[in-house]
Amino acid sequence: MSSPHDAPVAASRGPVEWPETLLPQVQDILSRYPTKQAAVMPLLWLAQDIWDWLDLDVMRLVARTIEVPPSQVHAVASFYSMFKKAPTGKYLVQVCQTLSCALVGAEGIIKHLEKALDVDAHGNSKDGLFTLLRVECLASCGSAPMMQVNEHFYERLTPETCDQIIAGLRSGKPLSLPRPEVDVWTFPVS
Amino acid sequence: MDFPRILSGNWETPNSHTLPVARSLGVYGRLEKALRMQPTEIVQVVKDSGLRGRGGAGFPTGMKWSFVPGPDKRGGKPVYLLCNADESEPGTFKDRYCMWKDPHLMIEGMIIAAHAIGCKVGYVYIRGEFRYIYDRLWEAVHEARAAGLLGNNILGTGVDFELHIHLGAGAYICGEETALISSLEGFKGQPKLKPPFPAVEGAWRAPTIVNNVETLSAVPWIIEHGAAAYKALGTEKSPGTKLFSCSGHIRKPGVYEVALGYPMKDLIEKECGGLLPGRTMKAVIPGGSSVPIMTPAEVYACTMDYESISTVAGSYLGSGGMIVMDDTTDLVAALANLLRFYAHESCGQCTPCREGCGWMYHILCRVRDNCATAEDLVTLKDLADNIHSKTICFFGASAAMPVQSFLLKFKADFIARIEAASKGIASGTHIAPPSPATVGA
Amino acid sequence: MPKVKINDVEVEVPAGTNMIEAAAKVGVEIPHYCYHPNLSIAGNCRMCLVDIVGGRAPDIACNMQARDGLAIRTDTPAVKKMRQSVMEFLLVNHPLDCPICDQSGECRLQDYYMEHGDYDSRGIEEKVSKKKRQDIGDKIVLDAERCVECSRCVRFGDEVTGTGDLRLMNRGDHTEIGMFPGERLEHHYQGNLADICPVGALTNKDFRFQRRVWYLRETASVCGGCATGCNIQVCHQEGEVFRFLPRRNDAVNKSWMCDHGRDQVPEIAGLKRILRSRVNGAVVDVEAALIALAERLKSAKRVGVVLGSRATNEANWGLLQVVRKNLKSARVFVVGGNDPGSVEYADALLVDADKNPNSAGVALLAAYDGQVETSEALGSAMSDLDVLVVLEDDVLGRLGKSAATLVYLGAFKNKSSEHADVVIPVCHSVEMDGSYINRQGRVQRIRRAVNAAGDSLPAWLVMERLGAKLGSAPGTGMVAAAFNAMAKAVPRMAGMDFKALGEAGLLLAADPSQPEGGDARVETSV
Repeated sequence: MSSPHDAPVAASRGPVEWPETLLPQVQDILSRYPTKQAAVMPLLWLAQDIWDWLDLDVMRLVARTIEVPPSQVHAVASFYSMFKKAPTGKYLVQVCQTLSCALVGAEGIIKHLEKALDVDAHGNSKDGLFTLLRVECLASCGSAPMMQVNEHFYERLTPETCDQIIAGLRSGKPLSLPRPEVDVWTFPVS
Repeated sequence: MDFPRILSGNWETPNSHTLPVARSLGVYGRLEKALRMQPTEIVQVVKDSGLRGRGGAGFPTGMKWSFVPGPDKRGGKPVYLLCNADESEPGTFKDRYCMWKDPHLMIEGMIIAAHAIGCKVGYVYIRGEFRYIYDRLWEAVHEARAAGLLGNNILGTGVDFELHIHLGAGAYICGEETALISSLEGFKGQPKLKPPFPAVEGAWRAPTIVNNVETLSAVPWIIEHGAAAYKALGTEKSPGTKLFSCSGHIRKPGVYEVALGYPMKDLIEKECGGLLPGRTMKAVIPGGSSVPIMTPAEVYACTMDYESISTVAGSYLGSGGMIVMDDTTDLVAALANLLRFYAHESCGQCTPCREGCGWMYHILCRVRDNCATAEDLVTLKDLADNIHSKTICFFGASAAMPVQSFLLKFKADFIARIEAASKGIASGTHIAPPSPATVGA
Repeated sequence: MPKVKINDVEVEVPAGTNMIEAAAKVGVEIPHYCYHPNLSIAGNCRMCLVDIVGGRAPDIACNMQARDGLAIRTDTPAVKKMRQSVMEFLLVNHPLDCPICDQSGECRLQDYYMEHGDYDSRGIEEKVSKKKRQDIGDKIVLDAERCVECSRCVRFGDEVTGTGDLRLMNRGDHTEIGMFPGERLEHHYQGNLADICPVGALTNKDFRFQRRVWYLRETASVCGGCATGCNIQVCHQEGEVFRFLPRRNDAVNKSWMCDHGRDQVPEIAGLKRILRSRVNGAVVDVEAALIALAERLKSAKRVGVVLGSRATNEANWGLLQVVRKNLKSARVFVVGGNDPGSVEYADALLVDADKNPNSAGVALLAAYDGQVETSEALGSAMSDLDVLVVLEDDVLGRLGKSAATLVYLGAFKNKSSEHADVVIPVCHSVEMDGSYINRQGRVQRIRRAVNAAGDSLPAWLVMERLGAKLGSAPGTGMVAAAFNAMAKAVPRMAGMDFKALGEAGLLLAADPSQPEGGDARVETSV
């Protein structure tokens, strides 16, 4: 599984502009910071929400918006692992493989998901629905092993719960259910 | 032991993240009192409380605040308060709960801190993976703003404070305060040279204070109950309570709030429910993946505070992210796992860390896979020594300390792999046998 | 000024001096990659780590400002080990390109390895591979694998040209220098990128593979490309010039020069050089040409002479002396503007719109003489002149007309030389000694690096010989004497001596005709 985050920017989809309806949001973002440059990350996030991944034209748009050379935006986008520099499946399945998760079976979960999603060497499933990635610590060590599907954390995974989650996603079930809730376990009163 | 749950007290109450519930639990109850205090008074109370930064470095919070130049010495520049919610140290997941369950407590702490340092605009820098919490924090900010708790003339005290939430995008290094500032400014998240220190010249070259979520969340309680009450908790040099993120081979992983000075053995055996049946302890990383590893003997002799862990085990309390490993753990594979993390996360600025982390990882992979020689271990130790404290920020040391301490305290595990290699014995591939049964209480 | 100690040697330096510079003052070289005196401090290469006497941890000398009592050591085993380890880290992913890399000989990886590395290699891991041989600009080839990520080129783009084009992408050991995909360097200072790159990542297309640098000799001189007068090193071997490098002079060009300046190199031995003297189109030797010229001047009633804004002070001084001593009725002119075909471009950094290196020198002489006339005056007087003598400037090209008889003394063929009755070749600036005065009023030395092309003579020597033929020579048998005679005569050069101009040059005294502070000196903005 190679990461779309590290992949070189391959294509560009042609010049883009911010959708009219989102211009107030762009302005709101710009108004939060003393410099335009500081808006680069929120704008890249906004762009990623709109266009799913960041190609060269999207980076050019962000660069124009904050009035910096596009190389500056490219460098920022390349530095952060969550900015997608290549397209992914509809569901980006990121499984944590760092120590706390690894100690309690992350590797087995990844192997299971590889098989269940039938992904190729790049982590993409044949139906284009999933992209499976190994990622580093997502700060959910107490509920390991865990994965993040798009924005949502799925924790205390077992092969069985993975199967349920995948089946749910395949059947079009929304990603709303298992958000992290401390309520699901009891905190001992000290 | 009996102590108040200063930070996690509201977590079990349903909808504690909403303003009405939070207020009913006393959040924002200390705000007006604080905002009517003189800024220097607040700084003094926090100084007297002995509160230390909970992000990992443990620097006295009140002293940090006092480094901000006075209004007449800032050359007209604003002061910025940044809340470090990048929580990225492996093994640490406490801030996530603070923000998910009690965002208003953190905001209350930020408003008080902002008043103390003369700041009008603050930012919460939250890691990109916490995007669902980012949404929740904005909701909390909007709620607070609508209730007159943020914005101009808060509670009629004449204090102004505006708060923005800034979403990171996946970079461990942004938890380092100067890297966080670079990132907030819209650059790559690379640490900056010190001096100048952020309190004097930080974000946008203005005086800037960066505090951890947990640190800021402790401030309202200190204002309410006074420095003496806080100092009465914990130990002489480590007052107060702290959240410990406990993970690994324990029965009840989770976040636990205990007073500092709490025996490590009790934390593991009582709060965390102990190890799994039939297992014995192999090692514990006490304060997030970067700090030196501890042997069971050290664990049993230690209390959870800054001094004890340092004097007994030569390690650090760090962020309080405790990773427990039992006797099924392959420590060589565990270290290789950590070095993969550091190689992936090095910002790439300083030569030793940029080139060294990947190099150490590759050597460790060979040791793990029974393909290494005794010279490789010498090289490994040497590389770690050559990285430690030779870089702009502490990341280099963070990557080096696990290597140095694993090799020092668990040398036999590594030697065994070299011997196995010389005999042509193939290695296993798992850090620990897959055992989903370890999960949950 | 604070006093600091380097290896027990005390030195007093201005406040704010960093310890790399302070150490250099006492002859201690602290190795470094990312530090550059004319760029901001990055502090990332870690090569300049030194021990602080009484300090807890080593620190980088580049970010350490001199303060009273600060004492550092660069000679301890710990420092030696740190340097060795940084070299080891830098080389662990560095490709084995040395045999085919043109940086050899001026590569800081090679040089520092020999001096500070010298360890047995233990890097057996697979190296990280990056993009090689990228054509990123008219002057520059980028090999990202060879890069040591020092960020000098990034800071150059941010701080000097303001183009922000080169960036370090990605992170960790995949950090890679590059441009925004598909974009190219667009500025006129690309050559500097190859200069400041301490390794073979950025190399100069014009120079790479032309000559191994250890064969080259360097001569300190001044660029003749425009009125800025960037200080340069002329790099040459056996009479052939291979490149110009900027020579640091913070008062003029810091450590930079423009690409137009460098583009002059191929012209030195190019097809446009004038190699032989000609009289009415026939090749003659210089002596015959001088005799012919003297005859024409003697027999002419109305002689016009144009001082050369591209010629040295010594040549112009000689020409003025020849005229004033021998041709009492001759009129002397200065023709402003640029030769046709010269680069139009100018900017706020170094490239001046005035492409003549010595306009200020000519203006100074004109002011001293008091009788020198303008370009417009020459334009209207042209039809009355029998002979017009032109030094270097392409007067015919600039004004579009000439006198009945045109005499051209210059290094390059142009419209004037094509139509001249008498042509005498003079030396290119790399072939002679002399001085120019730049736009700031800074008097700067050029130095002879290579032998004259063809029959070329230094222009001041031509004047000497011409004067002798006309009856009275300027009497300055050596170039220094020509300069010193001028300095003695011109008030604003009072006290200047040719040898004392040194490497950095000397500023003219303030112009008394200008109001206080209104001196027409242009401060270079780099």
